[in-house]
Amino acid sequence: MKIETFSYDNRIVRAFAIATLVWGLVGFLAGLLAAVQLFWPAANLNLAYTTFGRLRPLHTNVVIFAFVGNGMFTGIYYSLQRLCKARMFSDRLSWVNFWGWNGIIVAAAVTLPLGLTTSKEYAELEWPIDIAIAVVWVAFCINLFGTIIKRREKHLYVAIWFYIATAITVAVLHIGNSLAVPAGWFKSYSIYAGVQDALMQWWYGHNAVAFFLTTPYLGLMYYFLPKAANRPVFSYRLSIIHFWALVFLYIWAGPHHLLYTSLPDWAQSLGMVFSVMLVAPSWGGMINGLLTLRGAWDKVRQEPMLKFMVVALTAYGMATLEGPLLSIKSVNALSHYTDWTIAHVHTGALGWNGFLTFSMLYWLFPRLYNTKLHSVKLANWHFWLGLLGIMFYAVPMYWAGVTQGLMWKEFTPEGFLRYPNFLETVLQIVPMYRLRAVGGTLYIIGSAIGVWNLYKTAKSGKFIPDVEVQAPALVRAAPPAGKRGHRWLESKPVLFSIFTAVAILVGGLVEVIPMYLIRSNVPTISSVKPYTPLEVIGRDIYIREGCVGCHSQMIRPFRSETERYGDYSKSGEFIFDHPFLWGSKRTGPDLHRLGGKYPDAWHFNHMEDPRSTSPGSIMPPYPWLLEQKLDTNSLPARLKALRRVGVPYPDGFEHGPAQADLAAQSARIVANLAQGSIINHPPDTEIIALIAYMQRLGTDAKAAPADAPEVAAITPEPALP
Amino acid sequence: MIKDVLRDIGGIGLYGVISVCLFFVVFTTAAVRALAMRRQTAEEAGRLPLTDDASPSPKPSHE
Repeated sequence: MKIETFSYDNRIVRAFAIATLVWGLVGFLAGLLAAVQLFWPAANLNLAYTTFGRLRPLHTNVVIFAFVGNGMFTGIYYSLQRLCKARMFSDRLSWVNFWGWNGIIVAAAVTLPLGLTTSKEYAELEWPIDIAIAVVWVAFCINLFGTIIKRREKHLYVAIWFYIATAITVAVLHIGNSLAVPAGWFKSYSIYAGVQDALMQWWYGHNAVAFFLTTPYLGLMYYFLPKAANRPVFSYRLSIIHFWALVFLYIWAGPHHLLYTSLPDWAQSLGMVFSVMLVAPSWGGMINGLLTLRGAWDKVRQEPMLKFMVVALTAYGMATLEGPLLSIKSVNALSHYTDWTIAHVHTGALGWNGFLTFSMLYWLFPRLYNTKLHSVKLANWHFWLGLLGIMFYAVPMYWAGVTQGLMWKEFTPEGFLRYPNFLETVLQIVPMYRLRAVGGTLYIIGSAIGVWNLYKTAKSGKFIPDVEVQAPALVRAAPPAGKRGHRWLESKPVLFSIFTAVAILVGGLVEVIPMYLIRSNVPTISSVKPYTPLEVIGRDIYIREGCVGCHSQMIRPFRSETERYGDYSKSGEFIFDHPFLWGSKRTGPDLHRLGGKYPDAWHFNHMEDPRSTSPGSIMPPYPWLLEQKLDTNSLPARLKALRRVGVPYPDGFEHGPAQADLAAQSARIVANLAQGSIINHPPDTEIIALIAYMQRLGTDAKAAPADAPEVAAITPEPALP
Repeated sequence: MIKDVLRDIGGIGLYGVISVCLFFVVFTTAAVRALAMRRQTAEEAGRLPLTDDASPSPKPSHE
């Protein structure tokens, strides 16, 4: 047998590890600043760039794609080489992956505060950056599969299956959800509208959680936990069952983000059922991880890496039990739009992703630098501060979510809403927002201690850039007849990848295709018309400022919502909404029936200083909208792009008629403002367009004839737990 | 841009049934394949991360 000598590349692992730590602190701090603004609005520094609506997507993008993304690449680049007994396929591609990915993060960190966003959650980056993501991901995939092809170990270990599933699915999701028509270098409109856009977005959004935050990290767990515990995974057979069940089921679950919305009921039901089924394969992974420590629990007391890993797995188990629970429609009726969801995702993010990342890094750094961990005591401080941080984050958010959800639904014996003013329900939970910030601060202090500890560890050792090893060359031989079981499949990466692709595509296709091909899924309403040019610009300002981060535009068919907001939302009302703006959180009230509710002057004053019209409001002020000039130069490009995605503006409308229409509508709003003692406000300011858009919201359906084709009735309120 | 092709969605109840059947096939196949694997083979496969002895063990900690 021929023995070959080769080396593992540690440089790329170190680069990704350092990027993980740096971006982690940046992302956590952005989250803390956003959290503080929810009880102290002045913490936006009086700048548009650091106001909640723009800061929140920066926080989520940095934490997901920079912290977890770099953490994922750290672990994959380390473990893949060793599991394949081969250096990475191409060092050049490794560095294209590193610099390309981190360049994208820098681009995100610049563009999101500037308000350049698509508004689609976790897919906010505009089209040039989307293309860059696709290119860098392809480089990663070539490197991944190239390494697998040139491996010296015949069988692919379970960790690699998860890496393969990640590579394939993220590519499919990213391309599917990002399809848009550009209207300039940093503006685009989704090719999907309304309910179809919503389904596509949450097919993507849910599976970003599944295949970016979960499957690669399960792969890391399957590699680093056995290494640290020095014992094999509890059950290899269980890992086979749980892998295939997980990748098949996850892709179906997206519609659970859209329960009780205008999404057709059949899609909601499919999403709910498959979400509930997901608990089994998810717990298969958790159990496999925790039981790997059987007989080695004494090590958990001494080894910080294992402490972090155990909490990570426990948080994974909690989050993946809670996820299916929240997908049950009657539970979702209470939890959706509240801070319960925030608590849920942070149990996963801080516990599963955060702790698993630090677990891996505590194990890696001493090995990369051939030294010992600088301080076990500091690592223990990090662990306890982080754990307390998670507790102080999650518990207040659960409290806030349940409290507010119940307040929204409470009626007096006479049949009126007990808390008709939304603001009352917000003020009730502000103390919980303060406590949440304490939790976040504890977590950040712990993380900073961790970064310091790892820095000192690196300083105390000598970096090993290349690890020279020997392994026999791979002998490719046909299996004996009748030996084509799973173990055989594990030696066939191409076939394995095809099976994985089929598993993830089936669910997506069954759910998504009918939504686009079957007309009855989106009944049209004759009175629903395209937005006027001024409203288009106003809507784009609404998107730019991230209003969708705090305000939904989706009234569910519950009496508690129709009493508070007006008639429930219908899918036919959103056919010109590119993108959809239904939102997923109500820090402020729903806005779908806002049009005509208040005079124009009220909106003007409210945007200038929300507390002047709503004392105690935690909404940030937007004084810059009163001064910044409307960007009417780009209007033709925007209308043209909207026409290309299907909005029926007449040919040539964008040239002369659109500008005239815009001027006339602006003049009407200025006249309305004058009636509210706001005299001679310039008609070409952004506030005028935003008022035009807000006054349009939900008004088309009011003009619909009584026999409009929508047939759904008010849904009875589910019994509250 | 996205054109409606079909007029109506018939037999929608079948969607759930077909979907669950598909999952049942995938799950059963995976389970049968996994359970059919010899114990020794599974144990060997599970030990793969422990055999890449290239990474040097760190020195013991001071504390």
